[in-house]
Amino acid sequence: MAAEPAAGELITVVIVDDHAAIAAGVRSWCSQAVPPIELVDAGDRLADVWTGPGAAADVVIFDLELVPRRPDFGELRRLVDNGRRVIVYSQHTDDATAIKCVDLGALAYLTKREGPDHLVPAIRAAARGEPYTAPSLSGALIADDAPGRPRLSQRETEVLRAWFVASSKELVAAKLNITVKTVDTYIARVRVKYANVGRAARTKSELVGRALDDGLITLAELNETAT
Amino acid sequence: MGDAAEEMTRAQLRRGLRVATLLVALVTVCGQGLSNILRHLDAYPSPLAQLAAFAVLAAVLAGEAVLLLRRRSWGRLRRAAVAVVLAASVLSYVTLPEGRTSTNTDWLFGAAAWVGLVVLLDRPLRVAVAFLLAHDLTALAHLLMVDPNRGDLARFATGSVTVIGLPLCVAVVATVLNSLSAASAASQREIERVRVAEAVAAESHRRRQQRLAELSATTIPLLEGLADGSLRPEDPAIQRRCAIEAGRMRRLFAETDTVANPLVHELRHCADVADRKGVVVELDARGHWPTPPVAVRRDLTEPVLSVLATAASRARIAVVGGADLVSVSVVADSGEVDLPDPVTPGVHVETLNNDDTIWMEVRWQPSPQPAS
Repeated sequence: MAAEPAAGELITVVIVDDHAAIAAGVRSWCSQAVPPIELVDAGDRLADVWTGPGAAADVVIFDLELVPRRPDFGELRRLVDNGRRVIVYSQHTDDATAIKCVDLGALAYLTKREGPDHLVPAIRAAARGEPYTAPSLSGALIADDAPGRPRLSQRETEVLRAWFVASSKELVAAKLNITVKTVDTYIARVRVKYANVGRAARTKSELVGRALDDGLITLAELNETAT
Repeated sequence: MGDAAEEMTRAQLRRGLRVATLLVALVTVCGQGLSNILRHLDAYPSPLAQLAAFAVLAAVLAGEAVLLLRRRSWGRLRRAAVAVVLAASVLSYVTLPEGRTSTNTDWLFGAAAWVGLVVLLDRPLRVAVAFLLAHDLTALAHLLMVDPNRGDLARFATGSVTVIGLPLCVAVVATVLNSLSAASAASQREIERVRVAEAVAAESHRRRQQRLAELSATTIPLLEGLADGSLRPEDPAIQRRCAIEAGRMRRLFAETDTVANPLVHELRHCADVADRKGVVVELDARGHWPTPPVAVRRDLTEPVLSVLATAASRARIAVVGGADLVSVSVVADSGEVDLPDPVTPGVHVETLNNDDTIWMEVRWQPSPQPAS
């Protein structure tokens, strides 16, 4: 389950969402993606994520509020603890919820306003076990002033903020005179720092371990505690 | 001005009248009344009943004295007090020797009238009149029990004039005083209402004038040009100016709304104008910031208006703020946009053009406030 899909191999995704229109929209985006992504629709049945074709899917797209106004953080935690790669897809836009999902080990947090431009890249990143930071999550991270948050460098904050504002990495790169790849690097470093202070989970150790291996971040930088 | 002083004067007058009435009643009951009882003690078949009636009247007067000191009125005790006085009157007449009505032996005839008036002084006149009549009829009933001669009737009639007449005069004065102060309070309220209405009208007039002045520099020339045909509505530049003016007017109306976050509220109104043209506008705000003054808010929203006016299909407005910096960004497919310079110091605009996308950011740094 959730083994690293080889390059070019078909990515499969299972979506849990009680709104048929959302599942249908996501199915359409997935089939139009190049290469296409296979979607399993679990409807509002969480059991289908754990059994049958849903259990074998590489990525879980999880509607946080199957019961309105009662975000199901417990189920998110169970999925993450079982090594599932989870994208939280929520109508919530409040920062605390977004950050809590990231702390629990979700690889991406997207609001339903964020369409295929963000969902498809998030699915591909999650299938590789990598985090994806959408603009709404960036906004939550720059507004985060909780004690215990990781210390971000000035450049990291600047990039996050520009990404939140412009919603286009090309624009951010042009404005800050850096390459798109560098923009991605700064955003990835922020997520590694957050994963490092978050709760222990398989996704976290994968994330932090790989970031250290790739030289994305050094141990010293990781150990700088929050302000 | 002076309302409190006037009200105080009225209160003092009412209090003075109450004190005076109580003193008269005390003299009538405890002076004249008591001395008459003691002098004719042998004449009564039951002196104890007369003394009991006296005690009741004295107790009511003592109650009034206490209430007067505490600046309270009888309130719910009033009915009971009147009933007690009338009961004392009945008790006294029942045990009064026949044919002695309205003589010195009938000490209560004058005394009870004053005691009743003390209790009823701040009630409407008709209540006091009804009490005095009830008291007088009790005395008359006693007189008529035996066959009265003409002398007795004449004595009763002249006695009644004093017994009813004097307290009645006081009751009339009290009523006039009460109605005066009620009328004065009503006219005071009316004056206040008119003053408030005047102030509201003056303020809204001032605000309308100010709005007109603000629009006169930009909106009115545009409308005049369209009206006299010198500006052509099909000209894209004119359409753009119209879109900007529409946004400015919406912003102007939104500026006076009382909302928690005026900047975002006004941006929402600016975005709404573009939204109606079919541009998909996202508005996202993060962080907490001090409310910028109106002039700064206009500088922060003006570039947004200009960019939105020419946006073809989509726009994203994002506000990020903190205690030391507020930044409003707009990203849209607008092409080139020329911008007015910000008016207030501390506001800076940065523009980035990338193909047909424009990214404009306005930053405002609040001058450091003294720590609160």
